[in-house]
Amino acid sequence: MKYFGGCDVGSTYTKAVILDENGKIVADTTLRSKINSEQSAIMAMEEVVGKVADLKSSKDLTYLVGTGYGRNKVPFADENISEISCHAMGVHVTNPDVKAIIDIGGQDVKGIAIDKDGTVKNFAMNDKCAAGTGRFYEAMARAFEMDLPEFSKLSLTAKNVIPITAQCTVFAESEVITLVGEGKPTDEIAAGIQMAIAKRCFVMAKKAGAVDSITLTGGCAKNDGLKAAIEHVLKLNVVELKTDPQLMGALGAAEYARQKGMAN
Amino acid sequence: MKDLKHIHFYEDLLEQANNELVQQAKSEGGVAVGYTCFYVPEVLLNVGNAFSVRLRAPNTGSLDISQYYMSSFICGYSRALVERAFEGGYNFLDMWAGTDTCQQMNRVVENVVEFRLIDNPTFTHGFLDAPMKITEHGNKHYEHMIQVEFLDKLKDNFGVDISDKAIRKAVKEHNEMCKIFEAISELRKAENPVITPREFHILCLVSYACPTSLILPYLKETYADLKKRKPDEKCPWRARFVVVGSELDDYTFSEIMESCNAYVVADRYCFGSIPGRKQIPLTTDRPALEQVCEFYLAENQCPRFMSKDKIEERHAIARKLYEDYGADGIIYEQAKFCDFWGYERMLENAKFLDDGDDIPVLQIDREYVIAGAGQLRTRIQAFVESVEIKKIQKAGGAK
Repeated sequence: MKYFGGCDVGSTYTKAVILDENGKIVADTTLRSKINSEQSAIMAMEEVVGKVADLKSSKDLTYLVGTGYGRNKVPFADENISEISCHAMGVHVTNPDVKAIIDIGGQDVKGIAIDKDGTVKNFAMNDKCAAGTGRFYEAMARAFEMDLPEFSKLSLTAKNVIPITAQCTVFAESEVITLVGEGKPTDEIAAGIQMAIAKRCFVMAKKAGAVDSITLTGGCAKNDGLKAAIEHVLKLNVVELKTDPQLMGALGAAEYARQKGMAN
Repeated sequence: MKDLKHIHFYEDLLEQANNELVQQAKSEGGVAVGYTCFYVPEVLLNVGNAFSVRLRAPNTGSLDISQYYMSSFICGYSRALVERAFEGGYNFLDMWAGTDTCQQMNRVVENVVEFRLIDNPTFTHGFLDAPMKITEHGNKHYEHMIQVEFLDKLKDNFGVDISDKAIRKAVKEHNEMCKIFEAISELRKAENPVITPREFHILCLVSYACPTSLILPYLKETYADLKKRKPDEKCPWRARFVVVGSELDDYTFSEIMESCNAYVVADRYCFGSIPGRKQIPLTTDRPALEQVCEFYLAENQCPRFMSKDKIEERHAIARKLYEDYGADGIIYEQAKFCDFWGYERMLENAKFLDDGDDIPVLQIDREYVIAGAGQLRTRIQAFVESVEIKKIQKAGGAK
């Protein structure tokens, strides 16, 4: 049996996936990224390789594709492919009916339209600042003295939305602290934060060509409050993926590795 | 491929505006005239003992001073010019040929003059009011402005020879340089070209940033070297693009393109070779000044021209470059807060979509200093990947 790897070295998390010849996921992992991208990739690959009995090291993979922010730092990679292409392919192999993605990574937000073969039809990217990214969520959770999973559910009980006007992460954190200090309901403030980010996502999705439904990928895809904001307020249907949405970049990379490795 | 002849010398020249060749020209009695825009015919600044320097602000750091005076919602190029002027980076200039072509350039000249930023007792400036339409009246006005704001000031302040004969001599030298660029540009049409996008970008930049008479001998030798040069056996380029857009004087952009194996086949942006390195035809029956001015207005493809014919002409040129150079797509790049190109790139993207023949278009909004190269690289790499796969599919090579 041949095996194929994808390693997505993100700014916050590093993900790795190994596929068999049939495209079945045989191993995966998600680790907090180190400051050194190469070290993050080595750790992630060692972990997934350790889960497959037939493999001793990354060198035993028939083909390995690196992706993400540190894509050119993946040792033994045969190729690196942008995370935009890999997220598109990852979602395509998970659910071919999905045609648009909002990928919220640690440092940027991307809207991606997928073609019928899993390639990128169009994309839009917000990379000017940390507003609306994973870093933004981390700052907001910190302001509420919560962890991310807890914060992501906070807005679900809100009856009203308190708008957050600042777009900048630093100013938004300051605005949130002021609102909390004024005694405003925390769930309503959280709903305002989710709304602000949902609007950013909406713009990216529309720029990329999303029509009525999208799926979320990246770590922020697990944020229930954001999903609710996008669905209920922005009128975009959010399609749930049966595979962990945070793994889509690594899965897409592994699928590209499978296609290229099988063709060779 | 082995290093191109003089390429490291060129890189050094681009490290500062007051470079080695500028200093040499000054020491030989040259009058240095800084300018920023294609609306200023550079060839007319190269008459007599005057020489042009298209202003860049290499190694720009923080823009705090210029931001204070100009706001943060103004393009980085104009802020960097003012910042560098505050730092004393343009004290070698004898004259600044300014333009009223956009609000940003207005503000640059305003700050340079108001704060007396050029520490040179003989420094003077001219300010061009350029027409927004090409009409007979517009042409006459443009020529008049160039005469009184630039040429007369060069003559009156520095004794520069601005005669018809001097203009024709400058055009001849300019055309000699353009001829080299036209020939090198043709080399880019090859399947596996002997010149890289980075190298071409550097050649173009030095041709703008150095005195023509002093850079020309080097460019001739570089071209001779290129004619003998052999490309690497394996063609590294995955896709070929026409780059269209605003002011771009940082060759980091071309380095990023190269790192994604993307080849720039045609460069239609400010500081690029199209149309800046096109030969100027002159006849003997009319004054050279009149013909040069007509040429520069006619060839100018700045989106400041908002008449329907010019908008359509710009679209047609981008399409023609795409076809002539066998490109796989077009990249519209825009300096952040460049009003005209911000509008143009959106409009052009929509027009190419409307054309319905699937010419891939990528829009890039970038800072003057290309920091955050990783994210720009991701955009370009993703575009290359999507174009490449579609190219393969078109050729029937993939399912």
